[in-house]
Amino acid sequence: MKSESLLIRLGLAFYLILFFTYLIGPLILMSITAFNSAAFPQVTPWEVLSFEWFPKLFNDARIISGLKYSVIVGFFTVILSVSMGLAGALLLTQVWPKMRATYYTIIIAPILVPGVVIGISTLVFWARINSMLGFAPDSFLANGIFLTVLGQSTFIASYCMLVFVARLQRYDTGLTEAALDLGASHMMAFKRIQLPFLMPAMASSAVLAFLASFENYNTTIFTHQKFATLTIVLSQKVRYGIDPSISALAFIIVCLTVFFALLNEVIKRRKQLAIANGAPIEAVSKGFKLPSFFSGSPVAIMFAIFVAGAVAVIVFAQVYDPEPAKQAFQETKRAKQKIAIEAMQQKARDKQREKQMKGPKIFESKDRKKPGENPGQETFGSVFKTDNLEQAAGATGQSEEPVGTNPGKGAFGSIWQSGNLNKIAPKEKESGSN
Amino acid sequence: MILKDYFKTNGPLMGWILLGLTFFWIVMLIVLPQLYMFELSFHPHLPPPEMGGPNDYLTLENYKYLVFGAEGNPDGYNKVDLAVFVRTLTAAAFVTVVDLLLCYPIAYYLGQSTGGGFVRLLVLLLIIPYWINEILRAFAFKIIFGDSGVLNEFLMFFAIIDGPIDFIRANVALYAGLGYAYILLMIFPIYNVVESLDRNQIEAARDMGAPWWMIHKRIVIPYAKPGISSGCTMVFMLSAGALAAPQILGGPSSLWFTQLVYQWFNTGGNWPQAAAYAIVLLIACLIIVLGVMKLFKVNMGDIGK
Repeated sequence: MKSESLLIRLGLAFYLILFFTYLIGPLILMSITAFNSAAFPQVTPWEVLSFEWFPKLFNDARIISGLKYSVIVGFFTVILSVSMGLAGALLLTQVWPKMRATYYTIIIAPILVPGVVIGISTLVFWARINSMLGFAPDSFLANGIFLTVLGQSTFIASYCMLVFVARLQRYDTGLTEAALDLGASHMMAFKRIQLPFLMPAMASSAVLAFLASFENYNTTIFTHQKFATLTIVLSQKVRYGIDPSISALAFIIVCLTVFFALLNEVIKRRKQLAIANGAPIEAVSKGFKLPSFFSGSPVAIMFAIFVAGAVAVIVFAQVYDPEPAKQAFQETKRAKQKIAIEAMQQKARDKQREKQMKGPKIFESKDRKKPGENPGQETFGSVFKTDNLEQAAGATGQSEEPVGTNPGKGAFGSIWQSGNLNKIAPKEKESGSN
Repeated sequence: MILKDYFKTNGPLMGWILLGLTFFWIVMLIVLPQLYMFELSFHPHLPPPEMGGPNDYLTLENYKYLVFGAEGNPDGYNKVDLAVFVRTLTAAAFVTVVDLLLCYPIAYYLGQSTGGGFVRLLVLLLIIPYWINEILRAFAFKIIFGDSGVLNEFLMFFAIIDGPIDFIRANVALYAGLGYAYILLMIFPIYNVVESLDRNQIEAARDMGAPWWMIHKRIVIPYAKPGISSGCTMVFMLSAGALAAPQILGGPSSLWFTQLVYQWFNTGGNWPQAAAYAIVLLIACLIIVLGVMKLFKVNMGDIGK
């Protein structure tokens, strides 16, 4: 019996580790790539620790304008979807009971409808309204921000509605009735009694709505027109050519998320502790008591470590200068390449002499596409392969003795010059990453 | 009169505001756009001035195209698009099942634990990836599964494989990314239900000698059914309707059905055709979800709890 429970525990621990590696691992790896000086987001091969991608990110005009539109869209979406969600939730208990199930199905449906469908339907419907009203094709009804707000609010309001319904289930309608009996108007009763009760739900649904709007892609891609939100800009960047400034952005977002999640947890924990100890909430939420802050909760300790780590990294980034290390790295890389290239030149010449081949033909593009048919593939094919220029160079460099003196330039001399390689490499990389 | 009672409880101003907002949401945002899109899918592709003109008529052309392809198609059927359609739905179902298998144990563990600091930490770790942008999550998987990605480098470093494996082309990256994106939507519905399960029931079953799998089969799973079906519905609908992950992680030859919709809409500029494809996707998903819910006897009202 005991051995069995031990086995189960071990299995559980193993499973938990695997699960959370799958969950957190990708985010950590992505964050690490933000600090690699390599031009392509990668962990291996690691080049030099560098913070250069952060300034590059902040100077990217498209990212900044995307951020701006995201905030504008998010702002209006929060207003519209929170108010619609609240209205929908308040009406839920008042709808004719027979209709209630249908009503609920209709307002919950947008969550399940694919975002693509919502995007298209919003766009075609409002384009039709626009032309029916006889407005110009570029009127505000066809404006990207207007359409995106409407499209996103369609389903985000459903999320908000769920939050409000959960809160309203605990509301005592007797309170509103009492207020009305005491002579308050309906508006006053709502404002003074029901709204304060709903305030926590308002706050959490607003946060939810903003985050949902901020990260929405499926609907926005159809409705945004020329107002590309941050998510749209990111998707374009990720699809057509990447550089690690995206990793830098991801790292910032991960940090912000962790920060607010931990902060939220700490605050919740403190309130719970206070209630458990019988103290009024105000006593604890006011006045910063350090000892109770750290008491017992690993989350609070993690929070402190996290903040300290962030500060340390920022300070270090100000002081640290990657240039010397980078130059050293470039030099070793160049030296390695040079050796490898010379070795390959020599090998190529030998081979050419053997086979009596016509040199330049090897480099025609059709030969490169089908390296299998190319007799010189072992030598040349790998050089042009998408991303392993350095690997191939390194491997060849190790396996063959570098040829010290190079008697003049052979048939390939100019082709092998490092400038040419640099020209070819980025092009190849692009086609490879698609 | 019902409306009179309604205005009595809410007051005229509040009553109209509530009605107006809900009306706008239901009619202008949910019902009419969907109906108009449905109607549009039965129209031929015309330039805007000709819409409603003599050339505008109701037709099944757009749906026919999905099944039979362009006229004079030698195959008889639109094999490419139909294959994409079937593959999207089966792959979405596959992702759903994998997510369920992956998430059920952890949801059960979290739901049944007494909730110490460690469990709170785990819940926190679960939530964090969910707030990271969808695009960035896909991007992270591209870094891992790319040709010179971490996984390939790792496997080659330990000499498990000789050359890089093309995970992108094999769609491994896509399935991993999709499954990853919706893990939380699977865990939380199950977690919420399992949390409310009385531990005494499990204790009682254990005391009477039931093995662990019997406890799950007879007690936990029947009890957690609403949560399980809710999670499965969400994951299935969202992965079938996903667009970003297939665009970023999909192989060059394997399309997702939403990508076809996107192509018709943006590249082709053919709105009615795109509408028809979108309708087919929506209806197919609804049929599958409602069918499965009927099969497992779960109500629509349980979704989203």
